[in-house]
Amino acid sequence: MARLLEHDAKAILAARGIPVPRGQAVSSPEEARRAAVALGRPVVVKALVPVGKRGKSGAVRLAADPEAAGEAAAALLGREVGGFPVERVLVEEAVPVAGERYLAIVLDADGRTVRVLAGREGGIEVEELARREGGIASLELAPCEGLMPFHARQLWRSAGVRGPALPRLGQLTAALHRTFIELEAELLEINPLAETAAGELVATGAVVALDEAALFRQPELAERVVSGPAWRPPTALERQVAAINAAEPYRGSARYLELEGGDIAFLCGGGGASLLLFDALLRAGGRPANYAEIGGNPTEMKVAALARVVLSKPGVRGLFVAHNLTNNTQVDVLARGVVQALCEAGRLPPDFPVVARETGVNEAEGRAIFEAAGVRWLGEEVTLSEAARIMVQAMRERYGESDGDPARP
Amino acid sequence: MAILLDRNTRVLVQGITGREARMVTAHMLAYGTAVVCGVTPGRGGEEVAGVPVYDTVAEAVVAHRPTAALISVPPAATLDATLEAIEAGLRLLLIATERVPKHDALRLLRAAGAAGVRVIGPNSVGLINPSQRVKLGAIGGDRPERAFVPGRIGVISRSGGMTAELGLMLRRRGFGVSTAVSVGGDALIGTPPADLLPLFQADPETDAVVLFGEPGTRFEEDVAEALADGRFSKPLFALVAGRFTESLPEGTAFGHAAAIIRGGSGRPSTKLAALRQAGAWATDDLDELFRFLDALASSRADRKPGQH
Repeated sequence: MARLLEHDAKAILAARGIPVPRGQAVSSPEEARRAAVALGRPVVVKALVPVGKRGKSGAVRLAADPEAAGEAAAALLGREVGGFPVERVLVEEAVPVAGERYLAIVLDADGRTVRVLAGREGGIEVEELARREGGIASLELAPCEGLMPFHARQLWRSAGVRGPALPRLGQLTAALHRTFIELEAELLEINPLAETAAGELVATGAVVALDEAALFRQPELAERVVSGPAWRPPTALERQVAAINAAEPYRGSARYLELEGGDIAFLCGGGGASLLLFDALLRAGGRPANYAEIGGNPTEMKVAALARVVLSKPGVRGLFVAHNLTNNTQVDVLARGVVQALCEAGRLPPDFPVVARETGVNEAEGRAIFEAAGVRWLGEEVTLSEAARIMVQAMRERYGESDGDPARP
Repeated sequence: MAILLDRNTRVLVQGITGREARMVTAHMLAYGTAVVCGVTPGRGGEEVAGVPVYDTVAEAVVAHRPTAALISVPPAATLDATLEAIEAGLRLLLIATERVPKHDALRLLRAAGAAGVRVIGPNSVGLINPSQRVKLGAIGGDRPERAFVPGRIGVISRSGGMTAELGLMLRRRGFGVSTAVSVGGDALIGTPPADLLPLFQADPETDAVVLFGEPGTRFEEDVAEALADGRFSKPLFALVAGRFTESLPEGTAFGHAAAIIRGGSGRPSTKLAALRQAGAWATDDLDELFRFLDALASSRADRKPGQH
């Protein structure tokens, strides 16, 4: 899921006719103060991090005057919210609110449908509201079906809304749906959707998540999205892998997730086998240093680049290379790339245990390359689980039965 | 008989002049599949491995009467290619393309559903019927018989790579495969595992089914439901990988909508519990899966399920 920070999300909505508060993203308390002066009224200061529930974690603050805005920014900048450091804050006008509603459009993969959710009451307790009968009204749409304002008014009526806001809600919901289709979004959420005393609507909270696979059609947004784990920013090694993929997008694919601790570098694939092999390493008592999925017949250069990344993580004392029986990935190409990276790093067996369970295309040649470098090669006689046990055993043989912590070998 | 594919299946390859599709076409032909025509817009009149290439599916259909299409085109062209195949009257489509945009996937699945067309994939490595030596897609590469020998086990896998690995491991233990289906690695696919169960249930050549599951979606939970309510009554062996993902940090949910619409969590432990509750032989350990199969085989010593 490609997430957008809130100021980018709001810029997108504003450009499509959905009213948002005036505001500015800033990166220092002084800039925050000046932004508040320019807005000329009380402001809200919000940490710009790609996570939800910021209100509950104190990352949204009301400031009555510019001095207070500067102080709020000072308190938030440099803090960590949901695993992400706050590098910028959004300073925006505080909207005098008479009521708060909830509106979301979401791609529901389980239901194979686009779903519009409307809540009479919005805010941070909306999930609580959803558990109550009739708390949230829901409408399913076929993927290429438009949403007319009258559909939306019916939806809001069934959510219990009436009064002068209703026609505006109909228009805004239809505009949000057009935006959802245009951006190929996975999620557009406005919460709260503020209603002023005069019945005007303002999107005071906005969440936008796009489909990574469709970003090639949204080039102007592609550079603004936040990808990677949901719980922290990408690490330096993860950024290296992203660069390797970007440099050679057409041959082979690699996913890489750096983990805390661990001593076994994990260079496995494809997707299902990686999941299975990682589970098997843990079951055998091993401690992988990363997770990875490598497949799609990568070039030798790409394999070597990825092998360098997994080997360069501090604390790594062994390497596990394994795949399912390959349909197209060439075992000899894999072997050359892996052995090249091992040689460069000066980390070769038997000093540095390496186990490779690689079987499939060009297997005999691959096996010869692995074995010439001292790698323990395993073929189809060995199941993926057995291969994981052999890897863990190789670590024990090399480093002893100690718990294997690299700090205490 | 098996399911979905047999000797009478006549295959059209969309995107046949692409690098991957050329290779796959040659492998399918070598295995014995009747690849009768291909389509690449603008390349009509060429040949790939002796197979004639047309500009449009409509022309190819008139000339060769194909019954199934392998769609191997770039992600941005997949919706267009799929709608073209549906409109031309093809009844079985295998979409190999990875990274199909989700809005496109929703649209093509809707269109296929409305037309009553069976879609396998997107992001499927293929399906194979070893007793009749027919395959659709890259499955098994240039040596399908290494992984897939004729037998009486149906294979359903959410992982393309594991489809071949399971075939190989079954073969090494003396079992064979009736039909193996890589259903596709995405959440939006045409034929989720539960939709294949009625076909395997009705297939007299299938004695049992092996399922490979992964985190995410409700697919395994739906299989459990099909078992529980008796829609599938043959032995079902399920391997659900990715238990470790449950110990990764979840992060703070981005927005509330997912929590509002989602009942299930997609966690492997939940899937395993549901499958076991419904009577499946379910595990997250590959070796235990094979112990289950061995136990079944010895309990039916007179008729080992793998034997053809």
